[in-house]
Amino acid sequence: MGTTAISPSRILKDLDALWLSLGEEQQHEPPVSGAPGASPVLRACAMTLIAVVDTDDVTVGETLAMLVRSHPSRLIVLTVTSGDAPSLQAGVTAQCWMPFGKRQQICCEQISMSASRVSLQEIPPVIRGLIVPDLPVACWLRGRNLIQTPELDGVIGLADKLIVDSGGVADLSAQIGYISTHEAGARRVCDLAWTRLTRWREAIAQLFDDAVGAERARRLERIRIEYQGAHVPMSAYYLAAWLRHSLARSLKVEIVRVGDFERARVCSVHLAEQATDVSITVTTDRDVQLHAGARDAHTVFPRLSEYELLREELSVLGPDSVYESVIAAVPALLAESEAAPS
Amino acid sequence: MTPSSNPFRDATRFERRVRPCALVIFGANGDLTKRKLIPALYRLAYEHRLPPGFAVVGNSRTEMTHEQFRDKMREAVLEFTEETPFEEKIWNDLATGLYYDSGDLKDAGCYTRIKARLQEIEHSRQTGGNILFYLSTQPSHYRAVIHGLGVANLAKPGNGAWRRIVVEKPFGHDLASARELDDAIPRVFNEEQVYRIDHYLGKETVQNILAFRFGNSIFEPLWNRNYISSVQITAAESIGVEGRGAYYQEAGALRDMIQNHLLQIMATVAMEPPAAFEAQTVRDERAKLLRSIRPFTHDEVRLNAVAGQYGPCRVGGQALAGFREESGVNPEAQTDTYAAVTFTVDNWRWAGVPFYIRSGKRMTKRVTDIAIRFHSAPHSPFQTGNHDSASWAGPNLLVLRVQPEEGITLRFLSKLPGSGMKLRPVEMDFKYGSSFGMRSPAAYETLLVDALTGDATLYTRRDMVEASWEAVHPIMEVWQNTKKEFPNYEAGSWGPKASDEMLGRRGHSWRVP
Repeated sequence: MGTTAISPSRILKDLDALWLSLGEEQQHEPPVSGAPGASPVLRACAMTLIAVVDTDDVTVGETLAMLVRSHPSRLIVLTVTSGDAPSLQAGVTAQCWMPFGKRQQICCEQISMSASRVSLQEIPPVIRGLIVPDLPVACWLRGRNLIQTPELDGVIGLADKLIVDSGGVADLSAQIGYISTHEAGARRVCDLAWTRLTRWREAIAQLFDDAVGAERARRLERIRIEYQGAHVPMSAYYLAAWLRHSLARSLKVEIVRVGDFERARVCSVHLAEQATDVSITVTTDRDVQLHAGARDAHTVFPRLSEYELLREELSVLGPDSVYESVIAAVPALLAESEAAPS
Repeated sequence: MTPSSNPFRDATRFERRVRPCALVIFGANGDLTKRKLIPALYRLAYEHRLPPGFAVVGNSRTEMTHEQFRDKMREAVLEFTEETPFEEKIWNDLATGLYYDSGDLKDAGCYTRIKARLQEIEHSRQTGGNILFYLSTQPSHYRAVIHGLGVANLAKPGNGAWRRIVVEKPFGHDLASARELDDAIPRVFNEEQVYRIDHYLGKETVQNILAFRFGNSIFEPLWNRNYISSVQITAAESIGVEGRGAYYQEAGALRDMIQNHLLQIMATVAMEPPAAFEAQTVRDERAKLLRSIRPFTHDEVRLNAVAGQYGPCRVGGQALAGFREESGVNPEAQTDTYAAVTFTVDNWRWAGVPFYIRSGKRMTKRVTDIAIRFHSAPHSPFQTGNHDSASWAGPNLLVLRVQPEEGITLRFLSKLPGSGMKLRPVEMDFKYGSSFGMRSPAAYETLLVDALTGDATLYTRRDMVEASWEAVHPIMEVWQNTKKEFPNYEAGSWGPKASDEMLGRRGHSWRVP
């Protein structure tokens, strides 16, 4: 891969040509039903989404193709290539789909760029010129090896929302530090590890909806979170911090490893008071047992794909005060864990 | 404890959830329960929006055990639930809370048994004494059920609990019967406990009219007589009465569609901005609009309302029966299977703007939409010879599509590429489904959650129901006393010629949706 001068105006020209060719292709199709003037191709765009990926990432395309149907975007896919030699490349394509039973294609434009690490600092001015005006900008840092890459700070600086994924991250202190650092000014940071907890949190909340639950919430004394995997998952600390934050009390927290799993995950939450206890346990991959006092119930936590997690996150473009409180509380929990006798 | 005081609630992320409660369905062996209510409840269970102790008590005259009722409802979920996989465990959890008690609605013992069942459920499933009654029976039973609930003292909740009642449409078959029903309800339930359902108001796209109008600043300044020349609301069905001939010949399009659904849509399109998106304020504004509809004299009815009835026809090689040939229909029925009305609104915003509303069966296609037609540009500089492409193309048009292909389209003029100033209309198109790419909740899911959580914003109110009956009352009076020359439109058409003439008198024409 060599170095090519890439400029926003050149890419925007390529996009114009792309739309023209999409329109021409469709001119040969039978006319779209509807009123006169109905266009055969519909351009949809509600934000700019920058996806920063590793060079060997082969599944991101599928996720983005699904995602633009929920959140039509101008996609900018930045692949960070390996190697030390400077390299820059860019090209444009369209993500199109035909809604079932319809004859009008809906398309989102995609700009693909690749840059080696040493060339990354040249990228922000290019992306700045490609951002769709007046619409939000989200940056999804997908590459596992890209967290803690200072060369990307310029790209991240363009975004209103930064999306990371702490699932699988072992160094939790460094990760929390990274998230806190980038939550600057109007920019929000979100973590897909937190998004995965929405179903857990909803299930817990549901157990405290009635008067008995309310009374029980006031008496809770201990939190025990069980996980499987080689290291404590960030989600365990997120849950603990959220429970403390919600109850506005410093309850005793125990985070305990109970088995192996290929990727560290929370498998059970126990909230205990003197008389009864409340627990939520994943019994198999998806089946969940809810227990509150004398009552048991089942539910299912749907297996969420990365696309579904992103869809939820991109629906929350404003402040997420609960997550912000959780982020603020996690360092204290980590410090408590380190201080506790092993 | 209210959901908002649950310390674990997260309004940014969590869907609205229902507190522990029980739902009592009168008419549980009917079509609505099978096709809409139970599939909606399953979907809510699938999305974890029902509380663990949630219970349903079904009632109808048919004898059935709890188990038979559960089996029947399971079949209904399998047959009528769309876009949601069937999960045995979720169904089993929901099904353990399903109970059935048969009984004659005129028998006081029926309510005593239901009361005993509810007390048992309150204890075993910790529903907290919270109960939603759902009237899904024939409307002729409504008063008996309300009376029975009152006698059994089921309408008044204990400490901290709530009792509500959902009343399905039709709310009466005319103004007088609507008032009779409305007079019977307050003897047992307070108005705040009553949820009159009009499922059109629960449709996402109808709710989106409010978001469109009051969430944006660019449309509302144009939303008045100075910029809008007319509004057309169309609710067309391609099917006929589909085995409901006996019912439909007593109802007709004016009663079945215009008096309720379409006047509610009109009120949503034309109401003043509410101070807050709350039940009281939104419904106040809708009610004000409905009360502002100018009442017709009998002479005005003849100029502003058209009745139609479809005749037999062949469409695509298939012979379609006329309405009078449908099963259960009187061969001389005077029923309107099509109705079109020109309403006007007596207020400053809408004075002089006609609201053309039409609904019919066996029309060209199934479509419900609202077309806002703006005034033409006051002067067109683009005339070449005798041809003015701007006036040929018509004025700006904003179309709010309710179904199918929910969305919003704005038609405006653009220059055709090339030399010369030739204009052509183009569309700016927002498609609800493709822009959000996610499943929209069915109207009954939305409305059930609303009733179970005590949000009446999307429900109608006594004054709204009576105002909409008052708007159509003169038309019903004239039509009842007029022998109409039916059939007067062919199946597969857009309705009778007289309907086109009604608009033609004002220099307008129906658009083809």
